[in-house]
Amino acid sequence: MNQRFFNTYIFWLTICLFLAIILIPNIINNAYQLRVLMLLLIYAVVALGLNLVVGLAGLVSLGQAGLLAIGAYTAAILATRFGFEFIPSMLVAMFITGIFGVILAYPTLRVKGVYLAVITIAFGIVVENIAIEWSSVTGGTTGISSIPKIALFGHSLNDTAFYYLIGTIFLIAFIAHYNIKNSRFGRSMRAATQSEIAVRSIGINPITARTLAFTLAAIFTGVAGALYAYLNSYVNPDTFRFLDSLRYLLMVILGGSGTVLGPLIGASILTYIPELFQKFGVWQYFAYGALLTLVIFIMPLGIVGTIIFWYNKFQPKRVCNSKPWPTTEPLVDALINQNKDKNNASLSIEKMTVKFGGLIANNNITEDIKSGSIHAIIGPNGAGKSTFLNCISGLYKPTGGTIFFDEKNIVGLPMHSLAKMGIARTFQNTELFSQMTVLENVLVGFHTQYKTGLIATLMRLPSFIKEEKEFHELAKALLRYVGLDEYADEEARNLPFGHQRRLEIARALAISPKILMLDEPAAGLTHSEIEDLKRFIISLSDKNITIVLVEHHVEMIMALSNTVTVLDYGIVIASGAPSQVQENPAVIEAYFGSPGVTNE
Amino acid sequence: MSSIVQYFLSGISIGAIYSLIGLGFSIMWSASRAVNFAYGDVVMLGAVLTVIFVGYGIPLIISMPIAVFVCIVYGVLIERFAVAPFTKEVTGIGWMLSTIGIGIMLESFVTISFGSFAKPLVTPLIEKPIIILGAGIYPQELLIPIFAVTFLFCLELFYQKTLIGRAIKAVAYNQMAAGLMGINVKLMTAISFGIAAALGGGIGILIAPIVQASATMGLLLGLKGFAIAIIAGITNARGVVIMGLVYGIMEKFIEGFISSSAREAIGFSVIILLLFIFPQGIFGKKEMVKV
Repeated sequence: MNQRFFNTYIFWLTICLFLAIILIPNIINNAYQLRVLMLLLIYAVVALGLNLVVGLAGLVSLGQAGLLAIGAYTAAILATRFGFEFIPSMLVAMFITGIFGVILAYPTLRVKGVYLAVITIAFGIVVENIAIEWSSVTGGTTGISSIPKIALFGHSLNDTAFYYLIGTIFLIAFIAHYNIKNSRFGRSMRAATQSEIAVRSIGINPITARTLAFTLAAIFTGVAGALYAYLNSYVNPDTFRFLDSLRYLLMVILGGSGTVLGPLIGASILTYIPELFQKFGVWQYFAYGALLTLVIFIMPLGIVGTIIFWYNKFQPKRVCNSKPWPTTEPLVDALINQNKDKNNASLSIEKMTVKFGGLIANNNITEDIKSGSIHAIIGPNGAGKSTFLNCISGLYKPTGGTIFFDEKNIVGLPMHSLAKMGIARTFQNTELFSQMTVLENVLVGFHTQYKTGLIATLMRLPSFIKEEKEFHELAKALLRYVGLDEYADEEARNLPFGHQRRLEIARALAISPKILMLDEPAAGLTHSEIEDLKRFIISLSDKNITIVLVEHHVEMIMALSNTVTVLDYGIVIASGAPSQVQENPAVIEAYFGSPGVTNE
Repeated sequence: MSSIVQYFLSGISIGAIYSLIGLGFSIMWSASRAVNFAYGDVVMLGAVLTVIFVGYGIPLIISMPIAVFVCIVYGVLIERFAVAPFTKEVTGIGWMLSTIGIGIMLESFVTISFGSFAKPLVTPLIEKPIIILGAGIYPQELLIPIFAVTFLFCLELFYQKTLIGRAIKAVAYNQMAAGLMGINVKLMTAISFGIAAALGGGIGILIAPIVQASATMGLLLGLKGFAIAIIAGITNARGVVIMGLVYGIMEKFIEGFISSSAREAIGFSVIILLLFIFPQGIFGKKEMVKV
C-alpha cells in the first residue's frame, strides 16, 4: 500500500466516524442507549492507548484499570473537593496518569513479557487496594459520589452535549493514535518488538520507544478516566479490578492489535456483549472466559487483523526482481559520504580484554583501524572475532582496556549511543524487523535524523509531512542503491536470504555511518552475490566509510582489505597488509597446524 | 514477644503456601518458558474437589489422590492445548491469555456447580492449636512449611538423580539440543506441567482446612505466587522457596504493625520495587545475548 492510498483511506475513515458520531444519537434517541454509547467511546480511548503498548511496542499491560482508576479518582477528587471544572481536572488527570505511565514503563528497561505483566498486575492491585483502604481521600468501598454535572467554561452540558464532547475527544485520540502509529515513533516501537538488538544498532534506545508507548497509553487512559468519572457522577473501586484490566486487553486483541480500527471494534463488542451475556445468567462470567479463549485460539490477529490477513492473501502476487547493484544514487552519496581523512586512526583499541567467567575471549588486543580503510578480522572458529566486533560496537563491555573513537573513550557506552556517533554494524544471523516492510526497515534507520518532534507528529503538522516525505525518498534511493527497490512493500521476512543481507546493510547505511562493521557478510551467499558484495564494499570505501570486515571468505578478504588482523585464542597473532599476513608462519600454523604435531 | 513469635510462625505458614505455588510456576517455566497463568485455579480445583469428595462420604485418604489425579489431567491438558501452541511467540500474550481464559471458565464453572461460598475441609490437624512461646498455631499450618521444604528437597533429588529429571533439566537449558539428543521434549514439558499440577492440587488440599475451599480462593494466591517466583528469579527453586517464606513473614508483620488492610498495597509495592532493583530476580541470573 503506498502512502497516498493510506492517506485517503484514513481520511475517509475519519470522515465516516465523524458522521457516525454525529448521526447516531438522532437514530437511537434514548437516554440509556446514549449512555452506553458514551461508555463505549470512553473504553475505545482506553483501548486506543493500550494498542500502542500491545500492538506496537509488543508489551502486555494487565494494569490498565489501575491507570483508569487514577484518572477517574483524580478528576473526582478535584471536582468534589476543589471545585475544578472538567477541562482542568482532565489535564491534571492526564498529567498524573502520564507520570504513572513513565514509572510503569521504567522496568521495561530490562524486563519484558511476563515480568512486565506481573508488574502491571501488581500495580493494578495496589491501586485498587489503596482506593479501598485510603477512605479519607477515596471514600473507601463506597467511593466518591455526587460529582457535579460536567461543565465547560461555566456552562453546564446536557447529555447530548456531553456525548459530543466525548465524541470529539475520541476522534482526537483516534487521529493521534493513527499519527503515532504511522510515524517514526510507531515504527521504532514496532521495530523494538521485533529485534531489540537491531534497533540499538541503528541508534534507537528501545527503552525510549517503550516508555513513550506506555506514557501515551497512560495519558489516553487518564482522559478516559476523567470522562468516566463525570459520566457516572461517582467512582468506586468495583470498576477498576484485575478483570477490568483484562477486559481492556481483550478489547485490543479481539479488535486486532496493532490495527487502526481494531481498538474501536473491540471496545464496541465488549461494551455491548455484557448486555447480550445477561441472558446467560449465572453463565455470564463463563461466557466471558470462553470468548477470551476462543479469540486467542481462532483469531489471534483479531477481527481487523484477520480481515487484513485474508485481504492480503487474495491480492495478486506481484513478482519482484532484484536489480543489478550497487547503482549510483546522488541522494545516497549525499547521505553516506564521509569526510576524507585517511591516515588517521578511526578506531583505536588499546589493551582490550574480554573475559567470560574463566574464559578469555579477547586478550590484550591493541589495534588501530585506519579511517577510510577496509580492515579485515579473520581467525579460526572461536578465535574471538565476534566478541571483538561486539565490543567495539558496544554490545559487550570489555573487561579491561580502552577503545578510542573520535578521540573519545567509548568503553561502556551502550550500542545505541555508539550508533548515534556513527558506528553501524550488521549481524552474523541477519537481524531484520522481519514483519515490517523492506521500506520501513530502512526508514527505522533514519529515526535519529528526524527533526520534527512528538507534538508535530501527533498533530501531523506540515513540517512533519515534509520531513516524512523526504526520508521516504531517501529510503527508496537507498533501496535502489542495493537493487531492492521493487521489494519496498514486501515484508522483510519474505525476502530471499541474500537480499536480507543487502537490506541489513542498507539499513545500517541509513544512519550515515563513519564506520560500518560487517559480520560475515558473505556467509551463505552465492558466488555471483559475493562478486556484487565485493563491488559494493569497494563503492562504500570510495565514499570514505571505514569498513571492518569479519569474514571467513579468504579470497574476498585478500582482494579487498587494506589491513588484515588475525586472531587466534583471543590474541592478535598477526596484523598487516594481506600479502604479509598470508606468509606469516604463525597464521599458517593457526590455520593448518604446525608440521610434525598431530591434532588430537 | 509472643506476638512477634506469632507473626513469625503464621508468616512461615502462609509464606510456605506462596513458596509452593511459586515452585509450581518455576517447574512449568523451566520446562517451557511459559506457565499456566491461572495456576491458582489448579490449587482451587484440588481443594474444592477434595471437599466435594469428602462431602460424598469418600474417606479423605482416597479423596486426596483422586483430586490430585484430576488436577494432573487438567494441568497436562492445559499444557498441550493452551500453552504449547503459543510458546513460539515473543510477547507471550498468547499463552497468558489462553490460560487466563480457561482459568476464568473453570472458576465460574466451579462457582455455579459448587456454590459461591467457602466450605472448610475438616481434618484432625486443626482441632487444637499448639502453643509455642506463647504463640498458638495449628498443626495443619505447621505442616505446610514442612511439606514445602520436603518437596523442594525431593524436587532437587528428582532433577539430579532420575533420568526423567535430568531430561527435564536438559530441556530447560536448551530445548533444541535436548531434542537432538533424543529427549522427547513434548513429553518432558507435559510431565513438568503434570508435576506442577499435582503440586497445585496438593497445595489446595493442604490449605483447604485453613483458608477454606471456594471458587475464588486461587486467584490472588496464584498472582502472589507468580510474583514471588518472578522476584526470586523463577528458575531458581531454592530462591523461590526462600522468597515465599520471607514474603509471608513480611505480610504478617505488616498486618501486625501497620494494618491488615494495607497488606496487599504494601506487599505488591514491595514486589514492584524489588523488580525495579533486580530485574532478573534476586536469585536469578542475567541471560546473555548472543549474536
